[in-house]
Amino acid sequence: MSASAAPTLTPSLDSVRFATHLSQRSYLPAWWLETKKAAWNQFNALPMPSRTDETWRFSSLSSLDISGFELPEDASQHIPNLSDFPHAAEIIYSNRQLVARSAVPADLVAQGVIFAPLDEALTKHGDLVKKYFQKLPANLGSEKFVALNTAFTGTGSLLYVPKGVEITSPFVVQHTLSGANKAAFPHTIVILEDNAKATLVEFFVSADKSRHLASGVNDLHAGPGAQLTYVGAQNWSADTLAFQTNSIVAERDAKVLSLNVHLGGRQARHESHSRLLGPGAHSEMLALTVATGDHEFDQRTLQTHVSPNTTSNLLYKNALLDTAKTIFSGLIIVEPDAQKTDAYQKNRNLILSDDAEAHSLPGLEIQANDVRCSHGSTSSRIEPEQEFYLQARGIKPEAAKQMLIFAFFEEVLNKLENEALHKSLSTLIESKFKK
Amino acid sequence: MSDTTTLPPTDETTDVNPVGGIDQAVGDFQYKVDYEFDAGTGLSEETVRYISSVKKEAPWILEFRLKALKTFLDKPMPTHWATTDLNNIDFSKIRYYLSQGQKPKRTWDEVPDDIKKTFERLGIPEQERKFLAGVEAQFDSEAAYSNIKDIVSKQGVIFCNSTEALREHPEIFKKFFGKVIPTGDNKFSALNSAVFSGGSFIYVPPGVKVAQPLQAYFRINAENFGQFERTLIIADEGSEVVYMEGCTAPKFSTSTLHSAVVELVALKGAKIQYITVQNWANNVFNLVTKRGVAHEDAEIKWIDCNIGSRLTMKYPGVVLKGKRARGEVISIALANDGQHQDTGAKMIHAADDTTSVIVAKSISVGQGRSTYRGQVHIPKHLKGCKNNTECDALLINSNSRTDTYPAITVRGDTHSVQHEASVSKVNEEQIFYMQQRGLTEAQAMSLAVNGFVNDLVRQFPMEYSVELKRLIDLEMEGSVG
Amino acid sequence: MSSLEIRDLVVALTATPDKPIVKGLNLTIKTGEVHAIMGPNGTGKSTLSKAIAGHPDYQIISGDVILDGKSILEMEPDERARAGLFLAFQYPSEIPGVSIANFLRAAVQARMAEGEELDATGYYKKLYGKMDMLKIDRKFTSRSVNEGFSGGEKKRCEILQMAMLEPSFSLMDETDSGLDIDALKIVAEGVNAMRGDKLGVLLITHYQRLLDYIVPDFVHVMYDGRIVKSGDKSLALELEAKGYDWVKTELAAV
Repeated sequence: MSASAAPTLTPSLDSVRFATHLSQRSYLPAWWLETKKAAWNQFNALPMPSRTDETWRFSSLSSLDISGFELPEDASQHIPNLSDFPHAAEIIYSNRQLVARSAVPADLVAQGVIFAPLDEALTKHGDLVKKYFQKLPANLGSEKFVALNTAFTGTGSLLYVPKGVEITSPFVVQHTLSGANKAAFPHTIVILEDNAKATLVEFFVSADKSRHLASGVNDLHAGPGAQLTYVGAQNWSADTLAFQTNSIVAERDAKVLSLNVHLGGRQARHESHSRLLGPGAHSEMLALTVATGDHEFDQRTLQTHVSPNTTSNLLYKNALLDTAKTIFSGLIIVEPDAQKTDAYQKNRNLILSDDAEAHSLPGLEIQANDVRCSHGSTSSRIEPEQEFYLQARGIKPEAAKQMLIFAFFEEVLNKLENEALHKSLSTLIESKFKK
Repeated sequence: MSDTTTLPPTDETTDVNPVGGIDQAVGDFQYKVDYEFDAGTGLSEETVRYISSVKKEAPWILEFRLKALKTFLDKPMPTHWATTDLNNIDFSKIRYYLSQGQKPKRTWDEVPDDIKKTFERLGIPEQERKFLAGVEAQFDSEAAYSNIKDIVSKQGVIFCNSTEALREHPEIFKKFFGKVIPTGDNKFSALNSAVFSGGSFIYVPPGVKVAQPLQAYFRINAENFGQFERTLIIADEGSEVVYMEGCTAPKFSTSTLHSAVVELVALKGAKIQYITVQNWANNVFNLVTKRGVAHEDAEIKWIDCNIGSRLTMKYPGVVLKGKRARGEVISIALANDGQHQDTGAKMIHAADDTTSVIVAKSISVGQGRSTYRGQVHIPKHLKGCKNNTECDALLINSNSRTDTYPAITVRGDTHSVQHEASVSKVNEEQIFYMQQRGLTEAQAMSLAVNGFVNDLVRQFPMEYSVELKRLIDLEMEGSVG
Repeated sequence: MSSLEIRDLVVALTATPDKPIVKGLNLTIKTGEVHAIMGPNGTGKSTLSKAIAGHPDYQIISGDVILDGKSILEMEPDERARAGLFLAFQYPSEIPGVSIANFLRAAVQARMAEGEELDATGYYKKLYGKMDMLKIDRKFTSRSVNEGFSGGEKKRCEILQMAMLEPSFSLMDETDSGLDIDALKIVAEGVNAMRGDKLGVLLITHYQRLLDYIVPDFVHVMYDGRIVKSGDKSLALELEAKGYDWVKTELAAV
């Protein structure tokens, strides 16, 4: 069928456009341009996902239409302000243009902290980017779209925190798209050296209701003893096809918390792969989704325990309304050497409409015996007793329902240490319910 | 006539892995048998025509077989999700039909000695006397013995092999045959549909409750053989029946194929319980499709226990077709060295207020691998469906492996679906405690493993649960250290 | 003055409408009055309170419940609550993820006119005042509603909500069950502090003990879905002394 035919690209994202993109970046390191060329070739060589790909089970494939998109050239006039919480520094892109950038506090600069747009990072800290860029890709099915990202990425950022530097205030990156048929390819790299601590919050938003394409990629690397918090929140337009691929690496005793909030997109696919490389490493993988309209949210995860004494905990919560569809497919792999692993995986679907559909594929592959692993999946409605209790206090049914949906998310949001960020995300989620 | 050529235990079974051979000791023997009909090796249209002509089948059956053969050949091996070990099956080296060409006997005295010896050694006649309502004993391709107690047949219950049923009860057989599991359901259901032979046919009339279980015993005797029985059970409105099946084969140096299709139909308010204790030798590829349809207020329960085979792929399913229908799968799998138990369950909800329950427990020993695959499907416009799934895996040794791959689809806001799975190892404190009381480590391990599956084993009929416990004990010997 | 009138009320479980539990009950409560309904277990006391509050598990087969001259039976549970009915649950629901502060704010806000904003300072002042009265630690406001609460904490939380929402009629379903004497006293003090012209109370209880602390104006004995005997507070003492069998034998004699 449509499956593995040659990719259908519009004139705007074709080889000519790629060549232009490359020539505009000729000042960047040669290895980078080579990487981009290789990715472009890989993108063209890889087939589109097909029915028999287990990594795309239950996904809608016919709607994965990546044709007719172009790279935007002009920044939008309207840029939503989402970072309404105290932050260390901010980088804002609109339609691939760097439109705002706040300076990194001098004391952090003095300690060697780098927070820079990707192109600048490539020029000034090329070796650092090279060392971590896609060294351990997520490989959960979207390789083709990751290659497309590498080929065209220009909007991205590098956060580098040297040994022992602890920063509580979050760094913020925002990607905004506007105008019909525009595409964005953000790439974010976070590197925390030994015992460093930092938070990066990334927003992906459409500034209008146009048709958009986004394929974002992250490399999140927590060195020994580091504590990395990453929050990605997307509120793309209802006509956006979005891919986001997270690679998380936790070395010895590192702790990574990643939270992804999914609010927008016609079809949004999110892949996240945590690798626990050193003993004592921990990855907390969190996500919450408000699935409305006829949109599809497709989340694929992998928790790979490579070393002994590693722990991971995944909690993905979906609230489904209207005729929305969600897919959660998660896998815990415990490699033969990873004895004394504790790994958990939970998917909770709150189905609020008779036409909403939740798919859940929680998987385990365990090759070591001295482990504690469990997964759970529930798909259910709002508890009627709770609904009655709220109503018996005079709260209107709609408000009661919304309150219980927020209560459902609270378990996830509560894991954030930063109160202001928690509140900001709650407000963002609330906006989704205000039609 | 026939020399006894009981296979001696190899060195491998005593030294390298004492567990390997012991579990199949019960079935690991072979008597020489002369076959009247032999379809030869390899699979072609000729093979299918030969089988059909030996069985003197109606033309529609031959047509059905030939169509199925085409489907089988067209379908790829499902290795995009299943193990690539499937590629090791050489279909051209398998013998698809072997029989002595005799009608199944009604008394054990009439059964030819060489075959009778086999079943006596397996204890079948004794079990029949003790607690069964009827027995069907299949030897390679055809039933050697088939009997149903008078008291049961007088109630109108039909219990015979599928070859007989096709001849004597075509009107009922044809109505339900291939309806629950269509030929093209998967590659192996297609293979079975092309070359099926033997298996049970049961019809229980409305309101009849069969007090004792009916049993079938499947025996593979010949090397390089493929057994393809086809079982069809119809429980008419308000009736109840319990069916049990057991199976063994000698341990050959080459691999053997067993690929059955089992279809159950529980009409309004009927109850079917289907119990399997699978103990094939561990060179048998056991690729079985089992599914039942439960109509209004009906109940189908699969109790499936897999101890033997090299690779088992089996996911008993229930299609909950009528309101308030109930489906249940209780699954126990034990995977030892060289074994892969790829088992699970399918629950397809197709009516309001239907309930399904899956409880699966697996134990992986040595380099054994157990896999759970489950599907729970609640499509749109249904109300009030419930599923509860529990999967627990126990890993005994450091190189044991377990996988869990459930797929759950729920549509609508009136359902409640819950899946929980856990993986753990035997509690060391527990083992130490028992050792301190004077048990050996292996005994302690056996107790712990029996404890792990105990709540499920209790659901088996007495005689089977005792047997099961014994098999687990044997498996656990030498698994420690 | 308001009144709550229960008229020939017949109630059954929605699942089994042919088996009534409350079988024709009549009772009128006016603000300023405290009524107690006593009776053995399984006699329909809790069913009565839940049915009045509009719990979906219960169906009103016949009869009526009239609040200030208007039937409330067509009203949704939240509309009944906003009209002034409060049910103190026997088993309050746990709602993980919803803090008491947010929950009560939403409930208070729901009682205000569209567009009217809650005065947060005034709200918290009032809330803390009531919490102090009920000896509830202020930290409780950030905890999820009833989640992980002890039995006594749950009941005090119910009284706190009642104090904040100021209903005209409160149906207190076995509020004393599971309370030790100290907790019972605190709950009783809370209720007594609210007694007055603006509140009518229906106490549902199995034990006379509660009535030592919340002294009722009227006592009714409920048996087999009906009120079989009414009197003043002395009836409760009589019941305590003679036991429920006394009512049964007296009924049998009639």
